[in-house]
Amino acid sequence: MGAEEIKPSEPSADYGLPAKKLKGHKTGYMRRYWQLYAMLLLPVVYFIIFKYIPMIYVQAAWKDYKLDGTSIWNMPWTSKNGWKHFIDVFKNKQFHQALRNTITLNLLDLVVGFAVPIIFALILNELRMKKFKRTVQTVAYMPHFLSWVVIYGLAVQLFATNTGIVNNALEGMGIPRIGFLDKEIPWIIMYVLIGIWQSFGWNSILYLAAITSINPELYEAASVDGAGRFKKMWHITLPGIRPTIVILLIMSIGNIIGSGFDRPYALQKPLVLNVSEVLSTYIYKIGIVGSKWERGIAIGLFQSVVGVFFLLTANALARKLGDRGIW
Amino acid sequence: MIHVSSSNVIIYIKKGIVTMKKQAIALALAASMTATLVGCGEKDSKETTAANATQAPGSTDATKATDGGNTTTTTKADDGTKAEDPDFVNGKFKETKKIRVEVYDRSPEGGTDAGDNMYTDYIKKGMLEDHNVEVEFVKVPRWTEGQELNNLLSAGTAPDICVTYDYPTIQNYANRGGVLDMAPYLNDYKDQCQNLWEWLGDTNINWNKDPKTGTIWAIEGKRATANRVVTFIRKDWLDKLGLKEPTTKEEFEKCLIAFRDNAEKLLGDDADKMIPYSVSYDVGWRAATLIESFIDPNISDRDYYVNGFDDRKFTEPGTKEAIRLLNKWYNDGLMWKDFALYGADDSTEDNNMKAGFVGAITHNWDYVFRNGDKSINAELKNLVGEDAKFVAIDPFEDKNGGHTKFVTSTAGDRKLFFPATCKEPLACLMYLDWISDPAHIQYLQLGEEGVGHEKSADGKYYITKKIEGGNKAFMNSGSNIDLTITCNGLRLATEEATVLTTANSYAENDPALVAAADKIAKIDMRHDKNVAVGAIESEDGQGQILGDKRTAAYQKAVVCKPDQFDSVWDENMADYMTSGGQEIHDERDEAWVKTYGDVSSLPQ
Repeated sequence: MGAEEIKPSEPSADYGLPAKKLKGHKTGYMRRYWQLYAMLLLPVVYFIIFKYIPMIYVQAAWKDYKLDGTSIWNMPWTSKNGWKHFIDVFKNKQFHQALRNTITLNLLDLVVGFAVPIIFALILNELRMKKFKRTVQTVAYMPHFLSWVVIYGLAVQLFATNTGIVNNALEGMGIPRIGFLDKEIPWIIMYVLIGIWQSFGWNSILYLAAITSINPELYEAASVDGAGRFKKMWHITLPGIRPTIVILLIMSIGNIIGSGFDRPYALQKPLVLNVSEVLSTYIYKIGIVGSKWERGIAIGLFQSVVGVFFLLTANALARKLGDRGIW
Repeated sequence: MIHVSSSNVIIYIKKGIVTMKKQAIALALAASMTATLVGCGEKDSKETTAANATQAPGSTDATKATDGGNTTTTTKADDGTKAEDPDFVNGKFKETKKIRVEVYDRSPEGGTDAGDNMYTDYIKKGMLEDHNVEVEFVKVPRWTEGQELNNLLSAGTAPDICVTYDYPTIQNYANRGGVLDMAPYLNDYKDQCQNLWEWLGDTNINWNKDPKTGTIWAIEGKRATANRVVTFIRKDWLDKLGLKEPTTKEEFEKCLIAFRDNAEKLLGDDADKMIPYSVSYDVGWRAATLIESFIDPNISDRDYYVNGFDDRKFTEPGTKEAIRLLNKWYNDGLMWKDFALYGADDSTEDNNMKAGFVGAITHNWDYVFRNGDKSINAELKNLVGEDAKFVAIDPFEDKNGGHTKFVTSTAGDRKLFFPATCKEPLACLMYLDWISDPAHIQYLQLGEEGVGHEKSADGKYYITKKIEGGNKAFMNSGSNIDLTITCNGLRLATEEATVLTTANSYAENDPALVAAADKIAKIDMRHDKNVAVGAIESEDGQGQILGDKRTAAYQKAVVCKPDQFDSVWDENMADYMTSGGQEIHDERDEAWVKTYGDVSSLPQ
């Protein structure tokens, strides 16, 4: 859910920097902390090689991709002033379907799933038994490390219509079997719930970290003033982690038409294809399997542009409402 | 150490970076970007020149695709000089040539390295001795070969001889200038590649010849057998219930009902696991003979072709009624309830068969015999009992009372092509010739005498021996079909030897059962004919997306309630047609009329 992308431990290294002293000596700043910059080199190289160089091929979205060894720079532009692939994509019915599904599933994830790790972090924070707290925390993280293929396997064991344990139990109670994984609406619900189950523990890490650094004196003062647990939670903890919440919310909104590949691909089956085909799996099928590379690139580009637009909008909104946002 | 203000810290740092030496960093970034861009540009241009050089190899013909990509002209310089090429005498090159050949990698249990084992060594050695060509094998995973090939081709690193099952894909590559025209090589060097011409014949070599331009983007590997799909039923269950082997749909249905109603008797405590008839997620393949029995056996060539883009016959007239019957069986509790939840490569269904829960299946004609002591019939014998076995039946009669099976011709199997990046097309051609030599095929298929096979007592046929996993002589694919790329299926010196050997080639299985299945698979075959109307543009790249839609449509139509069947079917069919199916249908019909005129049969 993008939570992993924040690396709070990295910048913390120059926390408490005597900023005044360095004023006017900015080269000194770099010289003094050159080790940190050296460490940055590796990720920068990584980004250049794997994220920036491939961008050269973004232009294929406007070109007829040739396989005869022509350089990408020399490949001919497509008809319709180079916009042929985009026009083909936007006229395509399956693309509309995939776009609709992507937005639906991501919105549901956001609406239903966004608050879950926050609530979990708050509850965990209130636990006083350290051992119990740690156990719960660890257990909640674990699904994050399972591959989606394994998760689908588990889901089949539990929810298959005719052999799943849950359905067997339902039948035992006289309730008719439910096609959790092979009917469209139940599938959407399962998709969202399984997603939450897989990620809420992991996503709560950032919130828990945020909570631990709230000044304890605030709680003490509140106790003296007679605030109970809920009051403290409401007036101290939540405002304390508000910046974190806003940042993560902005990032989720930025990702509203993007999506991971593993989760939808592992969970989708032909019976529910109408609601489960999302852009990432569609790009895979049309681009890598169907060898319409240009279309895949065009859709990916579209996704990114719209994503950036959402990100900026959400960021601007957050700033307007008095929060700091990402920039 | 993690802080609450991760956000603050980020901003803090960002501000720091922004205020600090903005220009320096911008400069550095710009410099590194330009450096990499330049680097790339150089590499690209080098590749281009290399490719250009190879396209017009110190030889006579160059294939040139125009910008549109669709119109292709083959320019040939003076003929004849090639045959007198001083570097190539009597099929042997003066200088050692190097080629890379695609080989499927199935990674079977106990298998050897698909690209480096005693059989590939045999080929390498032979090619070096006979033609002075060094062969390197490029492994491509069998079940994702299409995607893998796409990636290799788009990156310009495809092997010099490529193999795939899907012609529209090759046409797509060709449209993008990614494929060499084989026609000039095949014709100019006909004398040097007689094995190839003899084995594949005019049919398979010219199958994909463009009627207008004469280009051949790919030649067709040959199927030694056209056998496709048959139905199997548990003979021991029939015996227990006093039933005959069914010969009609009605009798077949009665058997299924009897299985369902006698689950307790047949399976005892496991009665709830009873599956009278099992299909997989791929209904179109796994009910193929049933579907075909609803198609008019005399359907015109034109109708069959125009509706024939989908290889699971989704759009052929008659299919709907076949699925309606499956829908009825499904709702009557005669079929595997959860088939749709398990994908390709999943062994759940096989395990159901091996455990003895399944009454009948429709599948590849030799499916239950494959894999020696791990074959379904062998496992049944072990797990259930001595007499437990599947036997082949032919219960789906068509409207004329025959048992028409729509099968491919000798073509329609693997297609072989040379990508544009192939630097040694002639050496590649020699490879195809070498691999079509009957002696070489026989060695690869039977292995060494005493290890892979024994001669029968009467000397008429060969008895293949099971080679255990872990043995260096283990064949990674059945009869090494992945290596004999021009030949799929057993091919021995005589027809009789081939038939007899086939029946004896399934270790741990009764040859009589195999022979019976083989016989049934061959009843009333209707072979595909070559409709040579050129490329159908609207098919391009649609295979996967439309295939998925068809798979979903079949599944939905099988599992819905019977009273919803019509609406489910019609809705999904409409979706398929508007998603590109109609376009393909219309373009195919147009192309047909353009080539053959407004007639319903192919010219004889």
